[in-house]
Amino acid sequence: MNGIEQDRAQTAAPATAPIGLPVEIGDDGIVTLRLGRSDERVVTITPERMSDLAAALDRIASDTRVRGVIVTGPNLPAEGPGMFCAGADIQLIDSIADAAAGEAAATRGRTLLARLQQLRVPVVAAIDGPCLGGGCELALFCDVRLATDEPGTQIGLPEVKLGILPGFGGTQTLPRLLGLPKALDLILTGRLLRGKQALRTGLVDRLVPRTKLLAAARAEVEKLAAKDRKRPARRLRGLAFWLSKTPLRWFAARAATQQLQRGPGRFYPAPHAALQSCLNAFTMPVEQGFAAEARQLGRLVVTPISKGLLRLFFLTERSKRLGKHDAARDLQRALVVGGGVMGAGIACELAQRGLAVRLCDLDLQALVRGKARLGKELDKRVRRKRLTAPEAMAIQDRLQASTEWGHLRDTDLWLEAVVEDLQVKRKLMGLAIERGLPEHAVLATNTSSLSVTAMAEGLPHPERVVGIHFFNPPEKMPLVEVIRGATTDDATVATACRLAVRMGKFPVVVGDAPGFLVNRCLAPYLNEAARLVLEGTAPEAVDKAMLDLGMPMGPCRLLDEVGFDVATKVSEVLQNGFPERMQPCELFAAMAGAGLLGQKTGGGIYGKDGKRPGPGRKVIAELRAAHGTPGREASRSEIVQRLIYPMVDEAYRCVDEGIVAHEDDVDLGLVMGIGFPPFTGGITRYARREGLSTIVHALDELARLHGPRFEVSDGMRRRATS
Amino acid sequence: MSKKTDRSGDLAIIAGLRTPFCKAGGAMQRASAGDLASFAIRELLDRVDIDRRAVDEVILGCAGADAREANVARVAALRAGLPEHTPAMTVMRNCASGMEAILAAQTKMRAGEGEVFVVGGAESMSNFPLLMGPALVKFFTRLGKARSLGQRVRALTSFRFGALRPRVAIVEGLTDPTTGLMMGETAELVARRFGIERAQMDQFALRSHERAAAAQQAEMFVDELTAFLPPDHRGAITADDGVRSNQTLEALAKLKPVFDRHNGDVTVGNSCQITDGAVALLCTTAKKAKALGLSPLAYVRGTSTAGLSPRVMGLGPVHATPGALQRAGIGFDDLDLVEINEAFAAQVLGCVRAFADDGYCRQQLGLSGAIGELDPHKLNVDGGAIALGHPIAATGARLVLTLARALRQRDQRYGLATLCIGGGQGQAIVLEAA
Repeated sequence: MNGIEQDRAQTAAPATAPIGLPVEIGDDGIVTLRLGRSDERVVTITPERMSDLAAALDRIASDTRVRGVIVTGPNLPAEGPGMFCAGADIQLIDSIADAAAGEAAATRGRTLLARLQQLRVPVVAAIDGPCLGGGCELALFCDVRLATDEPGTQIGLPEVKLGILPGFGGTQTLPRLLGLPKALDLILTGRLLRGKQALRTGLVDRLVPRTKLLAAARAEVEKLAAKDRKRPARRLRGLAFWLSKTPLRWFAARAATQQLQRGPGRFYPAPHAALQSCLNAFTMPVEQGFAAEARQLGRLVVTPISKGLLRLFFLTERSKRLGKHDAARDLQRALVVGGGVMGAGIACELAQRGLAVRLCDLDLQALVRGKARLGKELDKRVRRKRLTAPEAMAIQDRLQASTEWGHLRDTDLWLEAVVEDLQVKRKLMGLAIERGLPEHAVLATNTSSLSVTAMAEGLPHPERVVGIHFFNPPEKMPLVEVIRGATTDDATVATACRLAVRMGKFPVVVGDAPGFLVNRCLAPYLNEAARLVLEGTAPEAVDKAMLDLGMPMGPCRLLDEVGFDVATKVSEVLQNGFPERMQPCELFAAMAGAGLLGQKTGGGIYGKDGKRPGPGRKVIAELRAAHGTPGREASRSEIVQRLIYPMVDEAYRCVDEGIVAHEDDVDLGLVMGIGFPPFTGGITRYARREGLSTIVHALDELARLHGPRFEVSDGMRRRATS
Repeated sequence: MSKKTDRSGDLAIIAGLRTPFCKAGGAMQRASAGDLASFAIRELLDRVDIDRRAVDEVILGCAGADAREANVARVAALRAGLPEHTPAMTVMRNCASGMEAILAAQTKMRAGEGEVFVVGGAESMSNFPLLMGPALVKFFTRLGKARSLGQRVRALTSFRFGALRPRVAIVEGLTDPTTGLMMGETAELVARRFGIERAQMDQFALRSHERAAAAQQAEMFVDELTAFLPPDHRGAITADDGVRSNQTLEALAKLKPVFDRHNGDVTVGNSCQITDGAVALLCTTAKKAKALGLSPLAYVRGTSTAGLSPRVMGLGPVHATPGALQRAGIGFDDLDLVEINEAFAAQVLGCVRAFADDGYCRQQLGLSGAIGELDPHKLNVDGGAIALGHPIAATGARLVLTLARALRQRDQRYGLATLCIGGGQGQAIVLEAA
């Protein structure tokens, strides 16, 4: 069967395969196999593409003129963002409902991709753009891998981040290629590599500029074809050899295991399974190793953990789409007023994302600290070769720190991060307009507690006033609450979201009510933790219960980090908003009154190291004594019920009151904002699994014992009964 | 007195800013000329209500540009956020480079090559390099060319420790190669020519510090200075650090002469300080300023550059001034304020004498008589380079900025900014306050 018609081959026009994978055969017998049609911007592995690929491979295998194959993405060498293959379609992964189906799908995919290796001619992967998961596994079955050093080129196996493991042979092929230690580093972390890093690791064989990629791939094919060889000789050497091919691999495995058991790793089974599977690559016959991998994939893909992580992935994608709104504008020049920790941190982030930023504060020392903070961060990245020195210099140049605002004619983002005082903020916004801030500019506030609507009131063009609430520290925290005031228009909200996405953050649009979303849901949690402590439960026990649930940090530790001054201030605002539910625990004021603010003053409930008991224990003891009631240690389940269940109720209230548009927003917001365990898929998923009626019953009981702060909202009660 | 002349070709100085001037090897030592200039330009353009795209060209003076940023104006322009399509050049006329940038802008504007210019000067004297001596260059060349083992061994063994002796760029740069005289030695010659004594020089140096200190005290510099945040993040620099408010005559008198140890009078105390700093000015035409809605600070009414014997280069201002006055259409006595760069007290005092010297003006300038008596109250009213420092190429622009600012603050009309130039030249600009 000759699938490639002569005339098409001569004109080098893409031969239209049944579903559309272009296969071009040149006069020199070198086939260019494209993984997608030229109009496809994203290439994912779907059943259709797989059967298409199978057909293409049939034809290539049966055509004796073929001397070699180049596998590449849909677009090369055209302009525009690159794309190789972004891996298996995640919707499809999500739809797999039983383990046997998962195992079968993995086996099918791997068998197909392995045919690239089984071709008698050399196969060269020409990679430009994302080469992820299944796409990377496809490339691993090729004989030679070439990649571009474009910023869009990212290569890796991120499967563990979705709670599964590479199922198309990745845990077998990658360790054999790179050796166990390097392969584990990539597979267990799901880390993606840019071109240069991939070259250094050995994942790709050569870096080539984009315009020369196809020519270089052709040359590689010719080189192998001339020698009549299928693949270049490659062998593990040195330490990689000893730690892979000999029983010494036990050391590599042990090091990886130890790494996994640190932190929240214990909640995720995928990396452990991946580790075992990688070891199989050296201890089992090839086919058995592949089979074991597929079995593991089937087992993992149906776990609730994987489903939760997949959901989170979809939520982040949804959040990123907020920036693609038609009305959203790209911002160029920012004026950040207030050089404190938040202001300077935000300014640094903006400068790094290409905005020209003016950071203004009357305190020159604060400005110096802000610049130094950026300098330190940039130096670190230059040392690690993440940035070149000129790139770092350009970023540093873009952050101009001054006591003067200067003129505002080019400013399209004015953002304040000054003291939380409505009058001060209003005055500054008025001043910005007086000083000639253009009408199209966004007036943003980083307030965590004040009303955006109240700030905008009386200003000309209040529709452009918006809250952009970053969390502390802004360089680390991935969530941004975009607060829509009563007068804020869609374009402004969309522009703020776009900015957040550009900064690598996940925006959540929230309504203008006390505490917005995250702080509002966090308040009952922190309040209740403090109450439990005052009732006699050890802070360590409270924290441990939450850590065991998968929270990244216990509430008492978190209070130390946030600081009792901030906690007092925020809880006052929330108390005003929701007096019946959010009476702040007296511990906050007592600690703040004693000058024990937490980590910033050298210790609070915990000491400076965050582990040992801190000076705040004395305050706790005094308060406990003043209560006079005998201390009572709460059980683990009581802790969970009293901390998490009110948060669930509050989350549903936010949905019902329209603070957020959708349950999805709550789920993403609490995972990204306070680290609610990602594997749950979000707090509403967690609640469903626990059972809404169980939660309602527990809360009713708590309300009976402790008062109205546990009262269940109507919306929640309705959901529980429906 | 002044003829009715066409003034449409005069530059209007809209605004200017400079970094503080700091002693070389001090607070700004980690900043290159490019760092300093880009900071000044960015700050200037952030403060003046103008679209960066309106700037037609950036012209900066720099006398000792680092090899890494030879066209420092281009580097600074890009780093300051000017569009990539805006051209930039660096000009060099030794100590007048910063003033030359203004003259270059004027020339370009009159030739129709642009209307809005960012001009200025930048110098990081901290970063003047040590250069490889010729012996070391020869050694490396030989080593580089050696191919066989024998050649390499021979090349390596040709090394002599004496070759490590570096050439000091700052010393060589301050020496006139045609006469072999260091700048300070030319100042000694000026002093001898006019019989200026050590005590007079020290007195003048003291005056410079006193006036600068008083100006700092009265916050006169606020309008021309911006705080500089150095790249090593060691605190903000808010003021010129060479000014000594506690300077005394006794302390100055104790200093030993540096250029002529036995018979000389020029000391480090009565010479300018070696400093780092940058100045940026925005200039355009009166018409364009109006169109952009900007109000000028001052107009450049006359400019002139003149040459003289390199041996007495310190008298350059005397030679340059008549031309500038003539083009401005005013007389010497019409000047309200005069800025003569204080390279050396001896040389400034020499200029004052020469201005009033009938014989000198006749013989050397071919004038019919003396240029005029310079009222000391008009001269360097807020101190000069002896106190503030002389970052070579920045100074010319600093004088113009300082003069424009001082004219405005004192509500005066005409001012002269002039300086002497190593190699035997002088340059002068006459400003009229707007």
